[in-house]
Amino acid sequence: MSLYKNIDNWLDVRLGTHSLIEKELTGYLLPRNINAWYSLGSVLLFIFSLQIVTGILLLIYYVPDADKAFASVTMIMNRVPFGWLVRMCHVVGSNMMVLILLFHMLSVLFMGSYKSPRELNWLSGFILFNLVMAISLTGYLLPWSQLSYWATTVATNSVGAIPFIGSYLVEFLRGGKLVGPPTLGRFFALHVAVIPITIAAFVGIHLVLLQRIGVSTPPFGLKETKSNWRGDTFRYEEHPGGIPFFPNYLLQDMTSIMLYLALFFAVLFFDPYLFLPKDAFIPADPFLTPAHIKPEWYFLPNYQTLKLFPSEFLGLAVQGAAMTFLALLPFIDRGTEKHPLKRPLFMACSIGGILLWIGLAIWGHFS
Amino acid sequence: MENRDRRKFLGVCLGGIASASIAAVAYPLFRYLSPIPEQENSGKVTFQESDIPEGEAKFFQYAGSAAVLIKNKEQGVIALSAVCTHLGCIVQWQKERGEFLCPCHAGRYTAQGLVISGPPPKPLQPLHVSIANGTITIG
Ligand code: FES
Repeated sequence: MSLYKNIDNWLDVRLGTHSLIEKELTGYLLPRNINAWYSLGSVLLFIFSLQIVTGILLLIYYVPDADKAFASVTMIMNRVPFGWLVRMCHVVGSNMMVLILLFHMLSVLFMGSYKSPRELNWLSGFILFNLVMAISLTGYLLPWSQLSYWATTVATNSVGAIPFIGSYLVEFLRGGKLVGPPTLGRFFALHVAVIPITIAAFVGIHLVLLQRIGVSTPPFGLKETKSNWRGDTFRYEEHPGGIPFFPNYLLQDMTSIMLYLALFFAVLFFDPYLFLPKDAFIPADPFLTPAHIKPEWYFLPNYQTLKLFPSEFLGLAVQGAAMTFLALLPFIDRGTEKHPLKRPLFMACSIGGILLWIGLAIWGHFS
Repeated sequence: MENRDRRKFLGVCLGGIASASIAAVAYPLFRYLSPIPEQENSGKVTFQESDIPEGEAKFFQYAGSAAVLIKNKEQGVIALSAVCTHLGCIVQWQKERGEFLCPCHAGRYTAQGLVISGPPPKPLQPLHVSIANGTITIG
């Protein structure tokens, strides 16, 4: 017996690796008509791991102190060998993570994968979406630049629109009346410890749920697109005659990750400052608000909504309602039809919603 | 046969690409984690002669490591590396006895850095000192 066979056998006797591989990889069958959109989850997992690795690397040189943060980031960019690469990977990666996350959600919406019995998958995914927004927001402050400082000032300020407790809440979030060194401490702890752990936990939950219930059948390329789930007992959605996860679908996952990397490197090497306006290169100055301060692109619609409504509270309430609706979508949309073209009302609403979102973002950008 | 050659060729290509990508990640990572060279100012350290009291020792940073300067009647100004030649602790100056003591394993050195007793195998490394109109320059 060769060495490889020996090791393989040794592990199998102790861990049952053969049956595990059979169950989770080669014997794990996916629907025949599964498409590339289903690999976005793997792409997101890959991006998240990359963010963790680059984040840990940045922690080596970053100093979470209001007096030193900006200088430490400058040092990472200018003096540490390849520091610019690590930092730009983290910055660009965070934006790309939000982008891919939006695509992942859209594919789930259009292919009806959120529907019963996958409400819990949708909810856990929705929570992940919010956590990603939160980790982006808290990370934004850390370089302690003018952009960081004022974007955080604006973002935390909007919480003040909540009646009665608003102003106290703002102060609580900031750790003081204004954004300052205590805010940096809080956001740093949230960004590097609290939120990442929570995201990891919810990714775990999200995957366990997927594993338990089985992959949903895409509605495309099928005559019958209705879900025949009845809702009386638990049933794992099997896909007899489907394609094995390994090697077939893993290859698709790898292909998508490679395509993603091509896009990622294109931004990283040809337009690294795409997501960094020039205020990101000026140290924070609490006495000087720069003109035209705007949040990141994915917060622009929220920002514009807040400006549109006469009272901040109304703007906040509308956003809260929209988010609640999105979270509860699988409980509201009880139909079993999954094909987007056979769901005209859904199509009209979702496309309208997306256009509204994009329109608000563009408006916010140019106003 | 042709098929097998093709397979082998593609395998070699894949292997090459894989090692190139690993190197492209590993090299920046290695450089990122390597210590950053100190911004050195010509490597020389200067003191005013009047700032150093007789018989006292002055500890300072020299070339990224600890060094000591002593001034006394008999030998004038001496600069030594303060790193014990045994296991690398920093020696202490004992003013009353005019000796260096290494606190780790009780190594003792004279003011010139020669070993009196204890485990140190070699004398303390002397540093070059020059004095020009009241300024002591080390290095
Ligand atoms: S290290 Fe100085 S005596 Fe051992």
